[in-house]
Amino acid sequence: MNTKSKIWTIISHEYLSRVKSKGFIIGTILAPLGFLAIIGISVLVTVMSKEDTSKKLAIVDKTNLIGAKIVALDTSKYFITDLPVETLKKQILDGTSDGFFLIPADFMDNGKAEVYTGGGGGIGYVEALENNSEEILIREKLYQLNADPTIIKIVERGVSIDQKKVTIEGEKEDFTQIYAVLGYILGFAIYGLMFAYGAMVMRGVIEEKANRIIEVIASSASPFQIMMGKVLGIGMVGLTQVLFWLLLGGIVLASGGTIASMFITPDPALTQGMAGQSNPNEMINMLNQINISPGIIIGFIYYFLIGYFIYSSLFAAVGSAVDQEQDAAQLQMPITIPIIIPILFITNIMANPDGTLATVLSLIPFFTPILMIVRIAATSVPAWQIILSVVLTIGTFFLCLWVASKIYRVGILMYGKKPSFKDLAKWFIMAK
Amino acid sequence: MSIIKVENIFKSFGNYNAVNDISFKVEAGKIFGMLGPNGAGKTTTIRMITNIIFPDKGNIFIKDQIAGPTHQNIIAYLPEERGLYKKLKVIEQLIYFAQLKGISKQTALDRAKYWLHKMGAAGWENKKIQELSKGMQQKVQFISTMLHDPEIIILDEPFSGFDPINTELLKSIIIEMKDAGKTIILSTHVMEQVEQLCDDIILINKGKAVLSGDVRNIKKSYGKDTIVLEFDGDDSFIQNLPNCRIISRTQNRIEFKLEDNTVSSKQILSTIMETAEIYSFAKVEPSLHEIFIEVVAHENMKKEN
Repeated sequence: MNTKSKIWTIISHEYLSRVKSKGFIIGTILAPLGFLAIIGISVLVTVMSKEDTSKKLAIVDKTNLIGAKIVALDTSKYFITDLPVETLKKQILDGTSDGFFLIPADFMDNGKAEVYTGGGGGIGYVEALENNSEEILIREKLYQLNADPTIIKIVERGVSIDQKKVTIEGEKEDFTQIYAVLGYILGFAIYGLMFAYGAMVMRGVIEEKANRIIEVIASSASPFQIMMGKVLGIGMVGLTQVLFWLLLGGIVLASGGTIASMFITPDPALTQGMAGQSNPNEMINMLNQINISPGIIIGFIYYFLIGYFIYSSLFAAVGSAVDQEQDAAQLQMPITIPIIIPILFITNIMANPDGTLATVLSLIPFFTPILMIVRIAATSVPAWQIILSVVLTIGTFFLCLWVASKIYRVGILMYGKKPSFKDLAKWFIMAK
Repeated sequence: MSIIKVENIFKSFGNYNAVNDISFKVEAGKIFGMLGPNGAGKTTTIRMITNIIFPDKGNIFIKDQIAGPTHQNIIAYLPEERGLYKKLKVIEQLIYFAQLKGISKQTALDRAKYWLHKMGAAGWENKKIQELSKGMQQKVQFISTMLHDPEIIILDEPFSGFDPINTELLKSIIIEMKDAGKTIILSTHVMEQVEQLCDDIILINKGKAVLSGDVRNIKKSYGKDTIVLEFDGDDSFIQNLPNCRIISRTQNRIEFKLEDNTVSSKQILSTIMETAEIYSFAKVEPSLHEIFIEVVAHENMKKEN
């Protein structure tokens, strides 16, 4: 009688039956924890591997110059010894020594040295040793040659380029790299969400068909209402999850500096060792200064939703065509391929978000949801392109919905043989 | 007054003509039987009445209006293939289906409790569908079609999956519905049930109506020349009866018809008594079962020639 209330009944059923499920609640809460755990673990691993080489090396220094300086860098790892090489070798065999670093007299000229251990221990300590001795070697050599102190300074410090962004409010620190990475994360998030929720729609349609529920519902509401109700209801589930995560992300970012500094104790020695590369202090600093504009958030929500709508209507059509999930694999191909293609280009677009390739690809409606958000995060996309992408994606959604609803209407009542693409085309024509 | 009028409807799927010019009327407040072999076009016809699919040609009127989505709320439809959401609780399932028919949540809840009690399913509210046995699921399914207090009730093989006790329960509910003024369309292969319940029938074969009308009149029109015999002993007498067509045959009961109606009862009886002892002998109207087989066989033969 009242079409609005019918579709609303379907939407709220689809929404509530999923949001109330334990799986959804657990997934929503655990996913960010999992994400944080992965980041946390990788940070921890990096920090630990830098700090810790369990080996304590004796240094046999024939130059009488380098050795003492290496020891000065880290007395917990190195010590000078006068014992003969043969004795040291015996100690390794006895297990009383981890190993020794032999610096030949001609080290200053050719930079060649040897380290002896009982084997194992990874390559971390060798790398550390190489870095440390190289730094000292260069510095000492420059002193020996009476080089200009400014050259020595440059060599010690390395080169660092700060990116500044010119805005109306004046110069600002530019975190282009960080924003590109943010775009990458957001693009991947949309990819995952479109897949997850598209598949959820498909499974829902198959459930109703396989369990013969559809005929009962179809005698109460039109196929279009049933399909739209499902697509909108599950879309709201996705939106709920995304909004929850954004809120959580907002809280984490707002207090990010504080939280990060709780976990990472700034260590001057460490900072020195990794000069020029990303270090915890800098990360904390960045977290405090990064500011994700509302544009990025609105863009993310929009492109997630429109991408979901485009693909989920197609997933619904595929679901309607098959009797069981296993049969869906082949029919899904034309849907999954356009979702995957943008992922292949995401790195290119991150690197050059203003290029022709980026512009063209991000305006192809099937690729837009993933690629446009990468660009929006990484650069300032011209307004006309954003407007065009919105128009194109909405147009594409209506086109997909039209095709999908025609296939759906016929498909839900067809049982028996596994349909081919030819069958789908027939159904499309058959449906009035 | 006819509540449903079907006028010359056609429906084809590709090259297959599922329904080929069918017309009939269903009287309000009666039980209408829709019969026919598998694949005859019954389900397709029902789906058109319930507005799930639309006729290619022809019209369906419900209460003198062209059938449309607005009528879905006064129709109950129990499809032959049953389906419920396995993970939902019984009460959630019932409320959802009722809400889809435009019933408020509270009304649905009250009626669900009433019906669960009536069907001997009180206390099932919070069980998940997947925890129920097949027969219990059938009950829930039946209840789910009744909660919007429909005027027209369409039942496709409603008794399948029910034990004899629940079959009787369902029969009495169907009769109760009829007494309350509901119109019922019953599609079944069990002719006994049709004879017990239906006022009018239509027999559909290969997309066409081959027989329709009042059950009693139809049976009368076939005459009283079917013989039902109960006996003890050897049934070899059958070979001695001229042009005898057996309709059904069990250990001690046989239902048959003689194509040659000039043979008298006396001749028949004496032939039988040669080999068997007679318990009962009656000349009756043919059963619907017999009519069904005869008509369908006849039609199919006609098509082949």
